Amino acid sequence: MKTKKSPWARMALYLFVFVICIIILYPYFVMLTTAAKSNEEMYATGEAAVLLPSVWQWSNFIDIWREAAVFKYLLNSIIVAGGATCLAILCGIPAAYALSRMRFKGKGVFMGAVIMSQMFSPVVLLVGIYRLMTAMHLTNSLIGLILLNAAFNQAFAIWLLRGTFTSISSEMEQAAKIDGCGTVQALMRVLLPVSAPGIVTTLIFVFINSWNEYTIALTLISSDLLKPITVGINVFYGFNFIKWQYLFATSIFATIPVVILFLCIEKHLVAGLTSGGVKG
Amino acid sequence: MKENKPRTKLNMRKVEPYIWLLPSIILMSVMILVPIFSVFQTSFSEISKSGVNKGFNGVSNYVWIFQNPTFWNTLGNTVIWTIVVVGLSTVLGIILGLVLNEKFHGRKIVRAIVVFPWATALIIQSVIWKYIINADYGALNVLLTKLGLIDSYVNWTATPGQFFAWECFVGILVTIPFVTFCVLSGLQSIDTSLYEAAAVDGATFWSRLFKVTLPLLMPSLTVSTVLNIIYVFNSFPIIWTISKGDPADQTHTLVTYLYKLSFTNQKVGEAAAVSVVGFVILAVCASVYMMITLRAEKEEE
Repeated sequence: MKTKKSPWARMALYLFVFVICIIILYPYFVMLTTAAKSNEEMYATGEAAVLLPSVWQWSNFIDIWREAAVFKYLLNSIIVAGGATCLAILCGIPAAYALSRMRFKGKGVFMGAVIMSQMFSPVVLLVGIYRLMTAMHLTNSLIGLILLNAAFNQAFAIWLLRGTFTSISSEMEQAAKIDGCGTVQALMRVLLPVSAPGIVTTLIFVFINSWNEYTIALTLISSDLLKPITVGINVFYGFNFIKWQYLFATSIFATIPVVILFLCIEKHLVAGLTSGGVKG
Repeated sequence: MKENKPRTKLNMRKVEPYIWLLPSIILMSVMILVPIFSVFQTSFSEISKSGVNKGFNGVSNYVWIFQNPTFWNTLGNTVIWTIVVVGLSTVLGIILGLVLNEKFHGRKIVRAIVVFPWATALIIQSVIWKYIINADYGALNVLLTKLGLIDSYVNWTATPGQFFAWECFVGILVTIPFVTFCVLSGLQSIDTSLYEAAAVDGATFWSRLFKVTLPLLMPSLTVSTVLNIIYVFNSFPIIWTISKGDPADQTHTLVTYLYKLSFTNQKVGEAAAVSVVGFVILAVCASVYMMITLRAEKEEE
C-alpha cells in the first residue's frame, strides 16, 4: 500500500511496531540475562533484585554440561529430528511426485486424507499412540519418536513438495524419458535437482518441527539418557528447587540453531504454505 | 497410442501411482490411523489402573465425563482459548503484516524479530513466561519495580482467571507470526495497479483497506485461520507448563485435561472419551477446511 501518510500516522505505525518488538524480545532478554545470573541474584527480591546480572556468570553455560546430560539430550534431538526428516522426505517425495505428475483414481480421496491427517495432532491421539507404541515395544525409544514425528509431518512434507513439483514444468522430464530415462531416473536426475530449494525448505521445516516437539517425547520417553532437549530441560525444573539459570542457559543452546535455520527458509516456507493451501 | 501397448503395460500404468504413494500410506496408516482406531476402541472399554483392557463397557466412560463438572468447564475453556487466541492473534497479525509491507527503516530487522516466536519451541517460551510472571522473584515484578510502576510485588496469577488470561496472552504472542507471514505473502500477490485505480477514484485509506486489501487477502487468511484453529485447539505446552490446569483443574483445555486423566490419574478410558470429543470437534473443522481447499483447487483448474 503506497500512501502518503500524515506524520501522526507514521508515528503511530512506528510505535505499534516498537511495542510489538519489545514484547516479542522481552522473553529472550529475560532468558539471556537470567542464564548468566548467579544463584543469589536469581532469587533476590526487593532492593537486592537486579535486571542485569551484576557479575555475568558465564560459567553457567559450562556448568550445564556437567550438571545434566545436556550433550546427550542435544544428540537425541539431532537423531530424532534428523531421522524423522529423512523418513518424512523419503516417503513424501514419491507421494508428492505421483500427486503432481500422474492421474489416477482416488487422487482426490488421498489428497483429502492428507489434508485431514494434519488436523489430528498427536496430543488428541496420545492415548492411542501410547497403546500402539506399547504394543510395538517402542515406548522409551528414539525410533518410536522418529516414526511418529515423520508421520505427523507427512502432510506438510507432501503439501510443500507437491507445490514445488507442480510449479515446475514436466517438459524436461518428458525429454529425459524420450532419451531413454525411466521414471525414477527422470525424477532423480531432472526433477529433484531443479526442485532443490523447495526440498531444502521442506527438510528444514520438518527438522524444526521435530526438534521442537515436546508432548510425544514427554509421554513416551522415561529414561533420562533418551530424552530430547525439549524434555531434557525439565531436569533443572526439579523437585523443590528450580535452577532457572541452567534451564535458560540450556534453552539458549536448544533455540539458536532452529531460529537460524528458520530465518534461512522463512521466505520460501510462507509462500509454500499459503499457496499450498490455496492452490494445492 | 495407449491402445497399442500390451495389456500388462496398461495395468502397470494403472498400478504405478499407488506404488509411489505406498510408503507414505503405510507410514500414515500405522502411525495415525491405528491410534485413531485405538482411541475410539479405548473410549468404549474399561481400562484398569495398571493399563489392562478389561473389555467393552459401553458408554460409561462418556457418562463419567459428561457428569463431571470439570469436563464442562474444560470444554468452555477450550472454546474461549481457541476463539480468543485465534481471534486476537489474527487481528494483530493482520495489522503487523500490513505495517511490515510498508517500506521503513529497520523493516528487515523487524521481520527477523517476528520470526523468533514461531521458530522457538513452545515449551521453552512457556517456561520463560512462567518465570517472568512468578510472584516471588519473577522478572516482570523486578522490571516494574525498577521502573517505579509498582511499589510491591504483584501476584499475577492469584485466580484461575488470571492464570488463564496469561496463558491466552502467551498463546496470542506465539501465534501472531504465522498470521503476519501469511498476510505478507498474500499482500505480495496483490496487483498494485488496483491501489492506483482506487487512488484515482479518490478512495480513502479505510475504504482501500476494507474494499481492496482485505477481500484479496481472504484466501491467505482462510488458510492461516483454519490452521491456527487446529494448532491452538491442540496446543499443550503453554497451559501444561504455566498452570498444569490448576488451580483445582480450573484452567484445563481438552488436551491438558485428557493428558492429566490418562497419565496422572490413570483414567485411560475416560481420557480416550475426552479425546473422541476433541476428535469430533476437530473433524468438523477439518471437513470445512477440506471443502474450502478442494473447492479452491477446482476453481484453479
